[in-house]
Amino acid sequence: MAPSFVEDRRRAALEVFESQDVPTWRRSGFWTTSLRGLELDSLEPKRYEPGLPPLDLGDDAHSALIVQRGANVVHTDLNEEGIVVMPLEQAVEEHPELVQEHFGKRLPIDDGKFAAGTAAFWTGGVFIHVPKHTCVEKPIQVVWLIDEPGTAQWAHTLVVIGEHAEVRIREFFLGGDFEGQALHAGAFELYAGTGAQVDLAHYQDWGRGEVFDLSTRRVEVGRDARVKWVPIHLGGHLTKQTLDIITAEPGSDMRHTGMYFTERDEHLDLFTTDRHEAGHTTGDTVWKGALTGESRASYEGLIHIIPKATEVDTYLQTHSMLLSPKAKGDAIPSLIVEVDNVKASHGGTVGELDPDQIFYMMTRGISRAEAVRVLVEGYFEEVIMRLDDPGLEELVRRRISEKLAGAEDQVREFIGERAEAS
Amino acid sequence: MTLEVQNLHVRTEEREILHGVDLVVRKGETHALMGPNGSGKSTLANTLMGNPSYEVTEGRILLNGEDLTEADPDERARAGLFMAFQYPATIPGVSVANFMRMAVNAKREEPIKVKEFGAMLKENMDLLKISRDFTSRYLNEGFSGGEKKRAEILQLAMLQPEFAVLDETDSGLDIDALRIVSEGVNAMRGEDRGFLIITHYTRILSYVKPDFVHILINGKIVREGGSELADELEEKGYEFVREAVAANGA
Repeated sequence: MAPSFVEDRRRAALEVFESQDVPTWRRSGFWTTSLRGLELDSLEPKRYEPGLPPLDLGDDAHSALIVQRGANVVHTDLNEEGIVVMPLEQAVEEHPELVQEHFGKRLPIDDGKFAAGTAAFWTGGVFIHVPKHTCVEKPIQVVWLIDEPGTAQWAHTLVVIGEHAEVRIREFFLGGDFEGQALHAGAFELYAGTGAQVDLAHYQDWGRGEVFDLSTRRVEVGRDARVKWVPIHLGGHLTKQTLDIITAEPGSDMRHTGMYFTERDEHLDLFTTDRHEAGHTTGDTVWKGALTGESRASYEGLIHIIPKATEVDTYLQTHSMLLSPKAKGDAIPSLIVEVDNVKASHGGTVGELDPDQIFYMMTRGISRAEAVRVLVEGYFEEVIMRLDDPGLEELVRRRISEKLAGAEDQVREFIGERAEAS
Repeated sequence: MTLEVQNLHVRTEEREILHGVDLVVRKGETHALMGPNGSGKSTLANTLMGNPSYEVTEGRILLNGEDLTEADPDERARAGLFMAFQYPATIPGVSVANFMRMAVNAKREEPIKVKEFGAMLKENMDLLKISRDFTSRYLNEGFSGGEKKRAEILQLAMLQPEFAVLDETDSGLDIDALRIVSEGVNAMRGEDRGFLIITHYTRILSYVKPDFVHILINGKIVREGGSELADELEEKGYEFVREAVAANGA
């Protein structure tokens, strides 16, 4: 029996889950995210025998690796003394006080039906604790794997980084090219203590399976701590995510740099908040996307500076690049500033590849397909280099290049049309 | 071996710009194509390279006898044609060195060896007095006008094309930069290469002496001659040519 704080939260969350309908998210204009196609009742938490499935994580080097397949953790490998990396189920038994202090602190159960569902139904789960003054050189790798249709994965990751600790964390969301539906409803929370330095990356590549990803991720940055967060979205049937980073105490600093690449009929709906709850905090958010096929991608980024958070310096920029005539994208920056004496700026663009750039490169003997690849890679380079992780960078570049090769004909047609129209 | 333009008519969405241009550049020759603003000089350069914004409605472009009128720009480049742009595009995220390597490899079966490429790049950068740190910058991003032109000539030197079109390479260059760029071009001249230098002004022609001069006005070549024609133009201006043409036509 798990400690009562876990069971109480599950019970309360279940009530919320059962009282709410499956939501539809609408915004002005063309945008609607609907779960009409999701057959929730046909999905179940599948359990697997322990064992390490084949994975491509860009780089095998790690201080710890924990893999959850379906509903349970199937592999844990820990090579570093002093840190804790284990299933969350196990952590609530072995480290109840540490877990209770942070568990769900930034993840209220009444934050929508699926946030409640995750709080009620999570299994397995991941807990990471890096104690104070600990410096972990190799990354901690977390993998969420869905490789069979019919899977419901209710996920929870809790990360607690002690004072002045330094760590790199990579969390992967990987799927297979199966036929049929699956659900990943995820909760992620990370607390960076005073003076901590955290380098966090999320890598999502669900593949061609019909995976619905409905997740909330929150990162809290403590006093004089610094978190660099790089979410990479490389595919998923339908993704609806809320990504928030909170500079909670004076001196905290966040760098949030993300990218997405959508194809076929994928649907991506991202909402990020750069939330400043204390004065003398700094932020920098850059998101870039590219769309092919008939995909839809909407990125909305909010800077929110609450009263009393003076002397904040932050900005947010978002760009979206259309590579197909049938794709539709949105890039919406917004700002809520409830205090004077801050620096906050934002900007957003939706654009296309420039035919002049492509012509220029082709006059150097470079083929159109290669020119497009180089330009799209160059466009994303600002984000990719922020990973600061050669193996992972290479993996991202390779996946982008594969996706572009798959979309070559439509990109060619699109560029051709644009050049003639200009 | 020739670059040949036959009765070329070119239009954009709005209107016809070139009304039947004929031109032959043989290997070993340097031609200057001169004309006032709006005469169609850049249109000709862009059409030679296959810019999709321009449509050839009549006439042909031949390289060594091969018809390239409908060829894609990359085919033309691989066939041996090069253009130094008046306003080269910025390529964010791609360093000068990486771009050069890609362009050099585009013409080769086997990719160039790292060492060989490095040596070749260094040699050509020395020739154009370009500093080392230049190669790690993103191509044309934040470059001054002079830096962009040097980067164009650096590509010319690296790619060693059979025929090179220089579109207003002298514009926006101060006198020192003009001399360096001109020396670079002169070093490239030889029996196995032809040049078409497109310019409004005569000043680059005092450094790079042309064998032939063509004057383009309102989309037609109206006068042709040796390098003395450029001197005459320097002295009397385009208005003089216009008047002479008008008088002849009447």
